[in-house]
Amino acid sequence: MIFGYLDPGSGSLLLQVVIGGAAGITVAAKALRQKYQLRRGKNLAVPGEGETTESIEDTALPTDS
Amino acid sequence: MQSPDPGSFRDPASRVVLDGNKVLRLLDRRGLEGWRALAGTDLFASAVADRRLIGTTEIDDVPPGSAAALEHPMLPFIGYPYEWTFTMLKDAALLQLDLLRDALSQGLTIKDATPYNIQFSDGKPMFIDIGSFEAYQQGEPWIGYRQFTRQFLFPLMLRAWVGVPFQPWLRGDMEGPTPAQMARLLGKKKLFNTGALFHVRLQARVEARMTGRSVRDDLRTAGFSAELIQANVRKLRSLVSSLEWAPGGDGWSDYGSCNHVSRDRTAKSDFLEAAIERTSPQRVLDLGANDGHFSTIAAGAGADVVAVDSDEAVLDDLYRRSKGSSLAIVLTDLANPSPAQGWAGTERPSVVDRANPDLVIAYGLIHHLIYHASIPPREVVGWLRTFDCPVVVEFVSPVDEMVEKLTGNKLAHELHPDRDEVNFRALAGELFDIVDETNLSSGTRALFALQPR
Repeated sequence: MIFGYLDPGSGSLLLQVVIGGAAGITVAAKALRQKYQLRRGKNLAVPGEGETTESIEDTALPTDS
Repeated sequence: MQSPDPGSFRDPASRVVLDGNKVLRLLDRRGLEGWRALAGTDLFASAVADRRLIGTTEIDDVPPGSAAALEHPMLPFIGYPYEWTFTMLKDAALLQLDLLRDALSQGLTIKDATPYNIQFSDGKPMFIDIGSFEAYQQGEPWIGYRQFTRQFLFPLMLRAWVGVPFQPWLRGDMEGPTPAQMARLLGKKKLFNTGALFHVRLQARVEARMTGRSVRDDLRTAGFSAELIQANVRKLRSLVSSLEWAPGGDGWSDYGSCNHVSRDRTAKSDFLEAAIERTSPQRVLDLGANDGHFSTIAAGAGADVVAVDSDEAVLDDLYRRSKGSSLAIVLTDLANPSPAQGWAGTERPSVVDRANPDLVIAYGLIHHLIYHASIPPREVVGWLRTFDCPVVVEFVSPVDEMVEKLTGNKLAHELHPDRDEVNFRALAGELFDIVDETNLSSGTRALFALQPR
């Protein structure tokens, strides 16, 4: 995907999952599962340096009621 | 001879060039894909028909280096959001959201969300950047969301919730407040409002933690969909609709009921109509337009009119009343009008350069410049001459009741000299021929029709 000319802001993109409400819950759950699996994978592999995959980690994903 | 529009360079896929009286949009290969995706939709046909979208025709004469060329009608005036009133920005925000909603329902998206893509035509907002539409790629979030909040939502919140006008902020920082700035501006206001919580406070917090990270691939893998954008757009629409501004009584909203205004209105209308008859203007600039009475007369005579005033309350009311008219409404202080700014100082030309009138109306204006803004009379007359077209101007004598109000706290030696009618005639006579004049019934006001020498 070619990036647009506009800086969308990573946080602002992520937030859209939260604002999406019920439909966002599935996406958030999947993203959290990815994060969990990534963490487990990292713990088994070499931690720290050389990480190239930034993910939706470290960010709470509250769901819209 | 084609010249690039100085405000159209950020998107490499689509650039506007001016060619005489034509407005052309040149597309690269990617821009062409976006145009093809849009052109075949029901959205394009219906939005052009109801003037939510600017008229667009693909032309055969494609300049070298471009994949396609489109032609748009020339708009008589280009206005900027820092010159709009609250309701104008709100209507523009709703149009942006409605077009995005409709685009998504037809497999398209709008890749940015800036009020500079919207102009007012016939008293309604119209989206002018055809190049913003492109096919929606499954899994992509709304790239323009952050821009929408900064340039539409936060300015509206600033006025509706904080009670501060947004125009000075947008004029100073055209990108609009950041989420963190807006959170500080809100302070403890709207603590339990979900719109403030998500779009302001949470966005500020997440932005601070996510700086520099790439999340688009993650979102796609996690199953992000257009449905999520639609949900966000629905909530934003409801939030924007709920934002209201009720002007206080500190401005000119009841100007029409002032004694001198109702008394002189017929004489001033007759004098203007005679000037219009004499000059047949196509473009009229009404400086100090107030409730738009004289702008409306000029528009009724078939001119495109730019109505300028510094009072947001009266202009907001005028906007609400001007649906279907050819009035362009500009909120700016004429003692400090919108300057040329943006990239290279040319991206957004000054309001004076955009107006390009062939008749100027300056009723009820120059005494405010002279007595309130302390502009010397010679400077004021010289400034009227810079428009290089006929001017109808109302002279107000130093003994007029309004001048006495304006100068109540000033001592005589603190005022500029040359304020009386004899001096005004002399100053005007240096730069203009006085082709018509009449005294108003008050005896302290007179109208002059000035023709540049």
